Amino acid sequence: MSALLAAESVTVRRGGRALVEAASLSLRAGEVLALVGPNGAGKSTLLRTLAGLETPASGTVRLEGRPLAGWPVPARVRRIGYLPQSFTPHWDLTARALIGLGAGRGAVLPWGGTASGPADAPDGGIDALAAGFDLADRLDRPWSTLSGGERGRALLAAVLATEPPVLLADEPAAALDIAQQLRLMRRLRARADAGRGAAIVVLHDLNLAARWCDRVAVLRAGRLVLDGESGPVLRDPALDAAFGVRFRRTAEAGRVMLWPEEG
Amino acid sequence: MKLPLLLLPLAFAVAVLLGADTLGPGDLLALATDPAAPLSRLVWAWRVPRVLAAACVGALLGLGGALFQGVFRNPLAEPYLLGGAGGAAVGATLGLLAPLPLPAPLALPLLAFAGAWGATGLVLLLARAAGLVAVPGLLLAGVAVAAVLGAARSFLMLALSDETVSLQAVLSWTLGGVQTPSWPELGGLALLVLLALAAALPLARGLDLLGLGEDMAASLGLPVARFVRLAVLAGAFVVAASVVWGGLVGFIGLMAPHLARWRLGPAHARVIPAAAAIGASLAMLADGVARAALPPAEIPLGLVTALVGGPFFLLVLAREARR
Repeated sequence: MSALLAAESVTVRRGGRALVEAASLSLRAGEVLALVGPNGAGKSTLLRTLAGLETPASGTVRLEGRPLAGWPVPARVRRIGYLPQSFTPHWDLTARALIGLGAGRGAVLPWGGTASGPADAPDGGIDALAAGFDLADRLDRPWSTLSGGERGRALLAAVLATEPPVLLADEPAAALDIAQQLRLMRRLRARADAGRGAAIVVLHDLNLAARWCDRVAVLRAGRLVLDGESGPVLRDPALDAAFGVRFRRTAEAGRVMLWPEEG
Repeated sequence: MKLPLLLLPLAFAVAVLLGADTLGPGDLLALATDPAAPLSRLVWAWRVPRVLAAACVGALLGLGGALFQGVFRNPLAEPYLLGGAGGAAVGATLGLLAPLPLPAPLALPLLAFAGAWGATGLVLLLARAAGLVAVPGLLLAGVAVAAVLGAARSFLMLALSDETVSLQAVLSWTLGGVQTPSWPELGGLALLVLLALAAALPLARGLDLLGLGEDMAASLGLPVARFVRLAVLAGAFVVAASVVWGGLVGFIGLMAPHLARWRLGPAHARVIPAAAAIGASLAMLADGVARAALPPAEIPLGLVTALVGGPFFLLVLAREARR
């Protein structure tokens, strides 16, 4: 299967230091890929580069075979959804306004004006979309009155409003409680299984990766040290070295589970 | 949208009544129905154009504030506080006092625009270079630039003035104030307000996106750097227009967008026109107070707005600090 989104030998530098070095990673249709690694390994930088938010010093990122720079911006941003690690809007906008901005993103002209034509509403309208995210009665509430879970769902609804075939999510589970994490991962899995969109998800919880992701890629100090199917990668002793801990491994319903212990 | 639009005629009526001899509400009917009466003629010839000029300057101040707060993503940003207006005033002072090869009616607005643009760009650059995009850092960078510009303006006034040019005209810039315009002048000013609105409104969606943070804005397709440059350019145009016509009037640019957001929410497509309407209303009222407070003298408009706006600023600051 050909890659939806692929980084080809991508190096990203900031201030003379390589944050990501010669990383090659590809995402195929129907996949949920976990990007894991210790803090500072370059996970966010690689994800931002894949999203087109960071320009690599060398190497290329291709979307559907075409370099990112070769895509018209509106078409590109409608195909790649990016979920940032932390999101704090500067104004107290409503969930409806946020989802509207997410849904209308192809309509932004180069000077930031509004194109006439397709309205900001996705198919079926913002209300229908919001219902799928359990936000129906929260749509017109200002951001400051929403709970953490509601904020996470509203942001995800905005990012997914254009049904992007690729979702890049930077630690989406970090601020969520266990039930919300479960719902999020189940949603991403279901999207991928239905062929509606593949995802790269930065995760800290390896057991979430084991349970929900087809593939796991491990970054350490800017380099991809492991990349493959979840089971084999998570059983690989190189994983212990990458994180600097010793994992005790057990099997649960055919899946590996990892229990970190002191080095 | 309703409330700000309702405010306009109300503020206009009150402002027309206010003045060296303040009229009662009952006189409004006479003014409207009997334009030949001596009092009516006086009011129509002098007070109405003055009130309308104040409205236009206030609309520009409100627009400038909405653009600045949007670009800086900061509810405390305001052209007067962040050096934009100060830069325009330096340009205007140069235009008035320096011997230039250009005619004054051309040099004044051009230099004011260049000053506003340069100062705003400088604040943005300083804040970014120091990594100070958060509220206090940005304000500090702005206040420092505004202070330097204020000193530069004073120096220019001292260095360039002689008997041939009156310092009075330049001083009125410093304190802020609206002159009574001729009807053609008023037409030009009104046209400027429409132009400013036309320049600001297409930026609404971009400002909304920018408010989500730069990464989020970029991932939703906004060319962030290019958009900010463009918005600063539009903001400088609006600020320069307001300074050329009304001098240094503070705090209306701070209050108007706040009141707009408070009533209508943060979407810029609504905040921008509402801030113009609210700014116009505030300026008409403040200018009315300036004319009526110490008859027959007038107190400077900037003094009235600072008296009200200063405490308002502190209130907003306290609320931001608590967030």
